Parts: sequence; structure tokens; C-alpha cells
Amino acid sequence: MGLEYVRISPGFEKYMPKDYVDLVQYGQFGKQIDVQQLGQFKELVEEHPMCAGCFMAYFVRVFYAALPNPEDTIVIGTAGCARLALSQAAVPFIYGNYGDTNAVASGLKRALSIRFPDKTKDVVVIAGDGGLIDIGFGMTMHSWFRREKFTTIMVDNEVYGNTGGQESGMSPKGVQLKMAPKGKQFDKINAVELAKTAGCVYVAKLSPTNPKRIAKTIKRAILAARHFGPTFIHAYTSCNIEYSIPTEKVLEDARKREKQDFAFYEWMTDEVKEFFEEIEKKTEEVKA
Amino acid sequence: MYYVADVNETDCAKYNCKQCVLFCPEPNTLMYHDSRHVAWVNYSRCKGCAICVYVCSDLLKRNCIQMVMVTTGD
Repeated sequence: MGLEYVRISPGFEKYMPKDYVDLVQYGQFGKQIDVQQLGQFKELVEEHPMCAGCFMAYFVRVFYAALPNPEDTIVIGTAGCARLALSQAAVPFIYGNYGDTNAVASGLKRALSIRFPDKTKDVVVIAGDGGLIDIGFGMTMHSWFRREKFTTIMVDNEVYGNTGGQESGMSPKGVQLKMAPKGKQFDKINAVELAKTAGCVYVAKLSPTNPKRIAKTIKRAILAARHFGPTFIHAYTSCNIEYSIPTEKVLEDARKREKQDFAFYEWMTDEVKEFFEEIEKKTEEVKA
Repeated sequence: MYYVADVNETDCAKYNCKQCVLFCPEPNTLMYHDSRHVAWVNYSRCKGCAICVYVCSDLLKRNCIQMVMVTTGD
């Protein structure tokens, strides 16, 4: 895409759908919005069919508000819950086959850098724990080994939510699910350490309890992926259906898990750290 | 008939917080009015999860949002 494709040609405003006109006039294209302004502008993502109170839907909402350049971003998803909301946004979305998201993203990122050598195009993969760490494990790991420059975000609901509640590699040990009646026998996979070992330059783990911090993490992951190499975010997005969390308690659960095993964690290589320090210094100079 | 969130505007206008807006999982549903400084709900989009009620009543103790039963025309 690009900003020139987003804008409506003069004279055609009245023929365009109301939602699209709103998006161009009051949306975030071409502006740097702060996530704290949510609710005061037309968001990129629209009505979606995800369950009431789903915190994965919430994470996707904040994700779109946090994109540094939505007009130059391509999102890749796969089978799973997140694609239901991802595909309802005004950002190009590619539906990879189950498990091959990171392979598709690798090719896409390389092609974009050849086709648009003078522009910055961001590629972001958002998939669930099944898509990235179970079924797509090989392709996810190899994209990191090859140091492909794109962001991978795992929205971890710790279960196969769409297909009736089978255990995934990311389910916590001992948890009993509808299709795992004996309880899970093995530990939760440590995806963050895997990402660090495999060569990611920026790795973060979070529970979505603080929109400002989520946005900052996503922005950092995308900026680091532009210049240095693969980046990874592991986000806890509970499945309130399969884990039987009452919808009004979903945020409470996220806060509880943040205190247990999803405390905010951020790791980056030294060069990435220097890069962010430089950016922060520059923004402070501009403010002063 | 289904439940939607409803904001008590006189109570909400006393605070300038908009925390509920930041935690709604539905896009373009719980909105914030810039000049009147109140949150408002687009009833046709609200799925009734009541996360906003948890934020407003349990976390902030402000009790400005309630769940109400609405009936649609069709």
C-alpha cells in the first residue's frame, strides 16, 4: 500500500463507504497517534467476530493502534483465533497456511525490500501458540536462524481454542482442558529463551494489562526488525471460553498471571539498545 | 434482548480518566467524547463483556458504568 493508495481521489468522497471516509479523515493513516488516544479516533480494525471479552481481540486492537506505519505494513496470520480480528482491519492481511506464516513472511520481506528499496515496509506475523510454536515450529525457528528482518508476535492463549480445547505446547503443566482430560503432562515451552537462542535481536514477554507498555513494546519490536533482525513478542491473551474465565474477570486474570509467570520481560542485543537510546535522545531533544 | 454497557454521563464527567476506553476489546465501541469528557457506548457494537465495569467499579471504585438490558427493533 502506501499513503497515496489510502487517500480518496477528489470528488469520490460521497461514493465511498462511510467507514472508509471516516478512516481516512479521522483514522491514523499518516499520523503518529498515541495509544492513549484510543476511543478518540477511527481505529484501523473494525467489528470482528471474536468472542465477547476476548483479550486476544483486545491485544489486536492495541496492536493496530501501535503500528508505527500502518500504511506500509503487511500483517500475516494463520488459522486460529487472532485471524478473525486481524482480517477485519484496513491493513493488508495475508492468511498463511497453518504453520508456514514465518516462511511466507520471509519471502514477502525479501521481495518487498527488492521491489521498494527506497521505502520501509514492515512485515508482522501474528499467530497463536499453535501456529508458531506447535505446528509452525520448524519454520518459525528457521526464519529466526536465517535472521529474517520481520516481527513475530505470539498471541498465546495456551489452548487450541477454535477446535474444542486441545492442549498445546504452551499450555501450563497440569492444566485440564476439554480435550485433555488427564491434564497436561509436560511443561510450558519457554518460547522467550528459544527466541533468544535462535538469534532474535529483541524479545519481549508481556501480559496485556498496560496499553501504553504494549504499544511501546510493539513499536520497538517493529523498529528493531527494520534494521537488525528478527524480533519476537510473547503475549498472554487468555481464552476465556476454554479456561472458563467469566468475561468481566478477564483483565483480573491477566493481572494475576502478570504477577505469576507473565511479568513484563524485555531483552535486546547491545546494538539494538544503543539504537533505542539514540532514538530516545533525539525525541527528547525535539521536545526540548 | 441482550446486555450492553451504559455510561452514567453525569458521574463519568466528574473524572477525566478514560481508562475503560483503553481496556475495551471491541474497536470503535466504547468511545471518548473529546469536548464533554465522557465515555459513551455504541450499543449496536457492544458485546456485553463488562470488562469496562470491572475497570470502572472494581479497579477505580468510580461506579460510572452499568450493564443494562436492551431490546433491538428487529
